[in-house]
Amino acid sequence: MATTGTSSTPRRTPGISAAAPPPRRVTDSSKNSSRAFNVVCGVVLGVFAVLWLIPSLWAIKTSLTPNSVSAVGAEEILRHGGLTLEPYANILRGGAIWDWYLASFFTAAVTTALTVVFASMSGYALSRLQFRGRGLVFVLMLAGIMIPSQVLVVPIFQMLDAVSLLNTYWAVILPQIPYVIAVFVFKQFFDGLPKELEESARIDGAGFWRIYRSIIMPLSKPVVSAMAILAFVNVWNNLLLPLFVVSNPELMTIPVGLATVQGSFGQRYSDIQASSILGALPLVILFLLFQRRIVEGVAGTGLKG
Amino acid sequence: MSAPTITQPGVAASQPLRKDRMRAGDTKPAWLFIAPFALFYVLFLIWPTIYMVVASFFNTSIVQEGFGSFAGFGNYQEMLTRPEFWSAMWHTLQFTIYTTPPLVVLAFLFAILANRVRRGQALFRLAFFVPFILPSAAIALIWNFIYTPASGLLAVVQGWFGVEAPSPVLGTPSIAMVGIAVTTVWWTIGFNFILYLAGLQDIPRELYEAAALDGATPWQQIRWITIPMLSRTTTLVVLLQIIASLKIFDQVYLMTGGGPGIATEVALGLITTSAFTDFRVGAASAASVLLFIVIVIIAVLRQLIDRAQERRA
Amino acid sequence: MTFWNLFGGGDGARLQLMLDQYEQEQGGSDALQAATFAWGNPYYTKVSLATLGDKPPDVAVAHATRATNLARAGLLTEITEDVLASVGLSSTDFTPKVWESTVLDGKAYAIPLDTHPFVLFYNKTVCRDAGLLDADDELVPIQGTEQWEAALAAAKEVTGAYGASVATVSETATPWRFFQTLYSQRNGSTPFLSDGGTELTFDEALVADTLAYLQGLTGSGLMPQATDYAGSQTLMFTGQSAFYLQGEWEITTAQSVEGLEFGMVPVPTLFDQPACQADSHAFVLPTMERSPDQLERAMGFVKSMLDQSLAWAEGGHVPAYLPALRSPEYAAMEPQSDYAEAADYAVYDAPAWYSGSGSNFENIVGAQIGLVMQGIASPEEAIASMRSQLGTYARTADPLS
Repeated sequence: MATTGTSSTPRRTPGISAAAPPPRRVTDSSKNSSRAFNVVCGVVLGVFAVLWLIPSLWAIKTSLTPNSVSAVGAEEILRHGGLTLEPYANILRGGAIWDWYLASFFTAAVTTALTVVFASMSGYALSRLQFRGRGLVFVLMLAGIMIPSQVLVVPIFQMLDAVSLLNTYWAVILPQIPYVIAVFVFKQFFDGLPKELEESARIDGAGFWRIYRSIIMPLSKPVVSAMAILAFVNVWNNLLLPLFVVSNPELMTIPVGLATVQGSFGQRYSDIQASSILGALPLVILFLLFQRRIVEGVAGTGLKG
Repeated sequence: MSAPTITQPGVAASQPLRKDRMRAGDTKPAWLFIAPFALFYVLFLIWPTIYMVVASFFNTSIVQEGFGSFAGFGNYQEMLTRPEFWSAMWHTLQFTIYTTPPLVVLAFLFAILANRVRRGQALFRLAFFVPFILPSAAIALIWNFIYTPASGLLAVVQGWFGVEAPSPVLGTPSIAMVGIAVTTVWWTIGFNFILYLAGLQDIPRELYEAAALDGATPWQQIRWITIPMLSRTTTLVVLLQIIASLKIFDQVYLMTGGGPGIATEVALGLITTSAFTDFRVGAASAASVLLFIVIVIIAVLRQLIDRAQERRA
Repeated sequence: MTFWNLFGGGDGARLQLMLDQYEQEQGGSDALQAATFAWGNPYYTKVSLATLGDKPPDVAVAHATRATNLARAGLLTEITEDVLASVGLSSTDFTPKVWESTVLDGKAYAIPLDTHPFVLFYNKTVCRDAGLLDADDELVPIQGTEQWEAALAAAKEVTGAYGASVATVSETATPWRFFQTLYSQRNGSTPFLSDGGTELTFDEALVADTLAYLQGLTGSGLMPQATDYAGSQTLMFTGQSAFYLQGEWEITTAQSVEGLEFGMVPVPTLFDQPACQADSHAFVLPTMERSPDQLERAMGFVKSMLDQSLAWAEGGHVPAYLPALRSPEYAAMEPQSDYAEAADYAVYDAPAWYSGSGSNFENIVGAQIGLVMQGIASPEEAIASMRSQLGTYARTADPLS
């Protein structure tokens, strides 16, 4: 992100909510034209927003339409007035999606926990400890950011095969733990924390581990939660790695499940849309619960898959 | 959607080493703190990279033990002379060309507009940003259905506008990538939207106030203040999109499987097919190394550009 | 007991009934875990990777043309006569031609279930109006391109849209099957691949001519240029075309369309000799540590499926299990028995490590054929593209051995 580099504190919430108020101390006429301009802006944006919502609404509408209607085509779906939950019942009764939910929750939660703990430990060491090899670690981590982990899917598969970890949750979890950028995000945040508390704790004889656990981490809740959510979303959404390291339906994550079995639905379009919405639902809920943190995390780090 | 990219992680910002703080006693605990992460870093980033380079020189097969027979530069020669490889690289470029302008222009536009409108923020966030955090598989299922030939929503809407027998989007080689690009723009614009909004927040309000006092119209303010002030964000957005394009896999795998024919096959599709369908790990590794090099070059370029901009700023 | 398959659509529904029956025999609904995957390469990739990862299903379905490749990769357990005998089977219980197709170096690796030829569906209502049916309400046999085109033209008069339909868009298998059927009907047609795929041996002139013929059918409006798998069916189901070309398994879908009267026959011999593209579904036992108990359970499942061959045949497939094929019940099945002969002149995809149903070979060739039928590529361009893409595979050392 453009500004994270030099600022030693994490950037403030780029609140969409905090829209810039119109300039003060301006003449009446320009105030009016400015207000009119804002109304036009609102209308244009509203149109785009509606346009952007159409695909999702279409999927929802289809998922509430019987399969026999959606098989005929879009016009029939539009014309159909009734609503049915049958497609959702089909998917939920089918059972597979419960396995996928479990796999996604388990792998995402474990990966996130390990990533946050390990990355913040490294970030702490880089921020606070002076040690031989610090420069080397720094450079290696920097290089790590540039390594495109997706391109490594073939050798990672071979490695997991060699140690008989294919078709386990660990095959999904372990390779996703080194989320290098998190180390830097933590380091930057720690750099911005005042050192006085630690100094007095050190005088009291506290070791680094205790300082990290009892002083640093409690002060770092915003960055921890932002990183945790981002890591969680990334792992949850990852398709490439789990697609190849997990082949058993009962171990598949949501994206792999959706990708693999769509063919078996045949022309049950409503069921397919229902499965897509059920697959997306946990993230929509996550968004509604943590939208501020998510937006902040994305904007503050420039993280993109 | 997993590999992180970061801007300027602040080498310049790291404190100058003060000799008196160089406590030798820190070294052991420091390495203990770093060890867990470093272990996974080495195991799943460094080691696979080495393995990939080694395997690229062998006829390694996924169903055979060991590396197999030595191939020299054979795998590289095959890839570099294989039309499919170059067409995959071209499709990546094509995808970049199709997605970058709308992702920059629309995201910029949406951010500017959203920044001026006070009501409906929740709606905009829901509409533009939520798709970005959804799984690609869910997105693909939704769009595949919209693109259904003849009876899908798009075909029906085209029919309303008098297009008779519209070409099936994902089934026609010349426009299949456009279909994937449209889906991608819809899916990921929220990311750029947020970046631009954040950038807008960083522009000092005084600039606008001064301009307004000088009688500048809103349009002039955008043209002469907002756009130049957001140029760094734009550079970032473009470079991130190029890197993301090089790593594109999900949408293609889910929507066209690289087809029709190989009209939308991309590098990672070629790599995974070679390795997991054809069982040719050696050839896949050679292609991986080539892609790896391209991505790293662009990533380094990005760091350099970012640093240069920072110095100028 | 886990069982993986690639049966979607009508096949999937049919299979479910058979699985229910098996579970009933086993006296519990927990006896079986069945999973269905997206058809083609994605399925075979899953089966292969699961086997490599030591978690394969107890039993999986494979096409005969893919089973031999899986076996060569060391991913399948040999099916010995002893194994067969454990559930009262023998290799002589199967159609010899199909059984032979699963044998590699004298060892069998699959237990065939069926043969599934590419056939012609016809809408009786439309054909009746077009004067194409005989006194028994059956399709008057069509022979040669002239009769074929005349029939299509007559049907087009009635439908106002098309004479026949076949999927050309978002499909590679269907265009390939249609093409291969017609190409194999011609004198002098040679296999596409030889020597395990190291040589491209198709007859270029004949291929070009056959492609041009297909392009003519769609170009003249007798058949649609751009329609996908579902669309090509819908055209016939809704009376917008009289004929529909697809594998016989779509019988289930056709039967589910209310008010549709339809029949099925082998694809007419448009050229010199009868032929049709086909493959066989078979059961395979992926490589894994199996206790005698597990092996018995797996074979018990296979036997139960074979015993239900007639239920499977309801879904259009020609049984490979002789007791079913020769049964009076099968002979009485309509329209199944009308095209059963097609299995006799079935043409399987040429063996190669990159060939078989849903393989790279079919994807490459089928995509080009689809483009030709859509009018986007010329036959010459299509052949050049096939040659170049297949050439890469032909030159590559076989990664399986």
